[in-house]
Amino acid sequence: MSVVQGLARRLQLVFGGRAADRDLDDEIRLHLELETEKNIRAGMSAEEAWRQARIAFGGVDTTREAHRDGRGTRWLEDLASDVRFALRVLRRSPALTLAAVITLALGVGANTAIFSAVNAVILRPLPFSQPDRLVMLWESNPEFHWDQQDVAPANMLDWREQVHAFTDVAAYVDGEESVTLTGQGAPRLFTVVTVTGNFFSVLGVHPEMGRALRDADTWKTRTRVVVISDRMWREQFGADPDLVGHTITLNGKRAQVVGIMPASVRFPSENVDAWIPLWLDPASRADVSFRRAHWMRAIARIAPGVSLERANSQLQTTVRRLQLQYPETNRGMGAGMTPLHDFLVRDSRRPLETLLAAVTLLLLIACANVGNLLLVRAAGRERETAMRLALGAGRTRLIRQALTESVTLSLIGGAVGLAIGWWGTRVLIALQPPGMLPAGDVRMDWAVLGYVVAITTLSGILFGIAPAVWSGRRTPAEVLKEGGRCGSDVRRMQRWGHALVIGEVAIALLLMTGAGLLVRSFQELTQVNPGFDARGVLTVQMSASGPRDDSFDNVRMFYDELLRRVRALPGVTNAAATSELPLTSWGWTSQFSVAGRAPDQYGNEVAHREVTPGYFRTMRVPVIRGREFTEQDGAKAPPVVLINQTLARQFFAGQDPVGQRVAFDKSPDSASVWRTIVGVVGDERQTSLGTETKIQFMTPFAQEVRTEMALVIRTPGNPSTLAPAVRRIVSAVDPGLAIASVRTMADVRSASLARQRFLMTMLLVFAAVGVVLAVVGVYGVMAQYARGRSREMGIRLALGAQREQVRWMVVRRGMWLVGAGLAAGIVAALAATRFMQVFLFDVAPVDPVTFVAVPLLLLLTAVAATWLPARRASRADPAATLREE
Amino acid sequence: MPEPPASSAPPADVLRGTLDLLVLKTLTLEPMHGWGISQRIQQFSRGVLDVNQGSLYPALQRLELKGWIAAEWRTTENNRRARYYRLTAQGRRALGTETESWRRYVSAVEWILSTT
Repeated sequence: MSVVQGLARRLQLVFGGRAADRDLDDEIRLHLELETEKNIRAGMSAEEAWRQARIAFGGVDTTREAHRDGRGTRWLEDLASDVRFALRVLRRSPALTLAAVITLALGVGANTAIFSAVNAVILRPLPFSQPDRLVMLWESNPEFHWDQQDVAPANMLDWREQVHAFTDVAAYVDGEESVTLTGQGAPRLFTVVTVTGNFFSVLGVHPEMGRALRDADTWKTRTRVVVISDRMWREQFGADPDLVGHTITLNGKRAQVVGIMPASVRFPSENVDAWIPLWLDPASRADVSFRRAHWMRAIARIAPGVSLERANSQLQTTVRRLQLQYPETNRGMGAGMTPLHDFLVRDSRRPLETLLAAVTLLLLIACANVGNLLLVRAAGRERETAMRLALGAGRTRLIRQALTESVTLSLIGGAVGLAIGWWGTRVLIALQPPGMLPAGDVRMDWAVLGYVVAITTLSGILFGIAPAVWSGRRTPAEVLKEGGRCGSDVRRMQRWGHALVIGEVAIALLLMTGAGLLVRSFQELTQVNPGFDARGVLTVQMSASGPRDDSFDNVRMFYDELLRRVRALPGVTNAAATSELPLTSWGWTSQFSVAGRAPDQYGNEVAHREVTPGYFRTMRVPVIRGREFTEQDGAKAPPVVLINQTLARQFFAGQDPVGQRVAFDKSPDSASVWRTIVGVVGDERQTSLGTETKIQFMTPFAQEVRTEMALVIRTPGNPSTLAPAVRRIVSAVDPGLAIASVRTMADVRSASLARQRFLMTMLLVFAAVGVVLAVVGVYGVMAQYARGRSREMGIRLALGAQREQVRWMVVRRGMWLVGAGLAAGIVAALAATRFMQVFLFDVAPVDPVTFVAVPLLLLLTAVAATWLPARRASRADPAATLREE
Repeated sequence: MPEPPASSAPPADVLRGTLDLLVLKTLTLEPMHGWGISQRIQQFSRGVLDVNQGSLYPALQRLELKGWIAAEWRTTENNRRARYYRLTAQGRRALGTETESWRRYVSAVEWILSTT
């Protein structure tokens, strides 16, 4: 008989249990009737015949029992009665049950929330067709210290044509762009991504209306087209079913809406509103800048049946060919591929894994605590257990029943935890740094539910094992003889409890050390001098786009007019504009050369920024040498440039940079513009407080016009009060312009710390909960210890021991336990914290401050927790204690 | 089938494990209900073997779970509802191998008893 068949038959019996019972009864009745009739035929009286039939059959109940056991449903019936019993027991001690459920719910809730995030970001596959066949292509260059960098469009097009292992290669411009939609009510900014025409076909996603972009859309044609997101369609166009085919105005240019993507398509970022094609000029493909400038992210779909390795080796062949073919731009330019999903989660994976580890540890502490509670209760119930054993209960049956109790308890805790986790997920999304979690994707699904059920059941078994094994090991005679007095077995039980306390103190220390390191690191970060004075500055990010961006003069005039009016506002002491706000981005980068130096003395990776006169005064960035830009450095004036201190130090050590000339090219030719350095300004942190300042050129805005600029406005008062007035000015100067964001510089600085703050806050919260649970655990075990020793203490006190001595006895015991836990925790922390290196700024993973302060703090808290039971024990009246026993 | 010698000794309990074999053998003749099976075994054994009637039903259940016999409700000739058991093809095969191993067992015991 096959296993499946057998199982099926058995299941049938399990679920048809009642019917099977009835069938058997019918069978037995018939049997007895037939036997009786036979006996009557043999000449017996009816009564005697019936009696004999019963005798011949034997015990009807025994047969029934045997039959029921034979069905293999016994365990299920036992389980049901165990669960009923467990629920009764839990109801009988509501305080303990409540404590256990809350403890577990905290642990499970934290796990649910974090796992929902891990599931959404790391585990769930990308919403594309066969997402495992998609790879991100990137370029790398050791000379520029480039790794996994943006690709140059010409290289991307060559790979697409020459690497046959790729079915197709699509690309999008790295970095979102804000465009202003006009002609539909108030001007509004939308986030667009510029993509190649095959972008959607490579991903394998389809529009919910109209068409996706086509390959031909990559190139310049007569009409511009746009594909919009479901969100933009609903929010801006009221889900107009006839929108496809209509023309809208983006940045003053007309574009036809050809398709609407479903809500599930939010790529490459959560907030993308629309996709516009690249609109390349076919002639520009030969242009050298097309191969020099790297500004695209390229995604390839690997052909069916081709391995990643083979695709990569084909790519490398092509890369080598391009290096030889275009030495000017491609020398040293390597390329590689990373599975798309891995690439997209590369920044989120580590923090999420760290948080998952933290909540797992938290759950372990919770388990230890609940285990302790159950252990104490098992000791209180040992007479009951002994009685059951004496009455013939099997030991395995007792263990099973104890485990049923603990798992039932953990499932209740898990259910409450699930609710906490659901709420925690909302909190997580609200607190997250921008762009870390896809808000719409972090939700409960079967994976999350399965995970919660798994950890809950495991927890139940984990914390139930100690009391279960313990209660199954006792011999009834021993217990009943003891008459409930504490004997050697209670000591043994206490050892279990002590082991649990040592464990949870160690884990709490580990958590707290991790959190402590992040706090220290965060402190260091906030101490960093950003190079400017953020107080009293309002920033306004905007784009002077529209028809105006066709003319540099118009853009220049627009910002001049804007700044003139802003400076005239009451309370404004200074105002200027910059293409990049510090602590957000370092802008574009290039190579450069200095006049009069050898050809190989060029510089790489210099950052660029365009600023208006007065920027450095407004931001209070010191001018170290030379002068700041003035109104005289206009469009037609001699080209000038400022350098930051790092650049001065690295390239002009021992000489005066002021007066020297530079070109933004590796090997300048007749077309190169030579600019004179007129000054050196202080370093500003360009991307974040924790990132070293990059070498940087500052160019007058008037000489290098940019449409997207940020105003910086200084006021002695509260900068945010200026916001309404500034908004009014902007719409007065150009009613068709939308502002991207108005923030104080302090907010910009704070936002740049969002990731670190998030991780620190989360870890700190988990560590705090862990410490509270551990301290409660220490208290519980010490209270139990003191109670178990009350008789001994009574005797000691009666014999003349001082109360301090008795108190000290308990405290010493507690300190010994906590000390052992701390020692174990320090060893674990020493091993574990090096995994946190990547999150730390200016703090060693074995930071002495953290490694001294955290254990000390824990020690003090834990000793305080032992103090309470110690004091109670020493206050007891010896006579009363002795009489009680 | 060689008939067992009639005996005046009280009937022996059916050896553990042999009940299954006897039930299977009995069912080779025709489908039968529980009481019928117990009667038939007693008849065949001429009263030497006394089937503990109560233990018959767990045995029937065991065989049914193994798939060696199948059961269905039918009416008897006296128009009573009874659960009839019949041998399945699988049970027929099993009877062959079980009989074989029983014979080996008996002859081994017999050999030991006669040599020592």
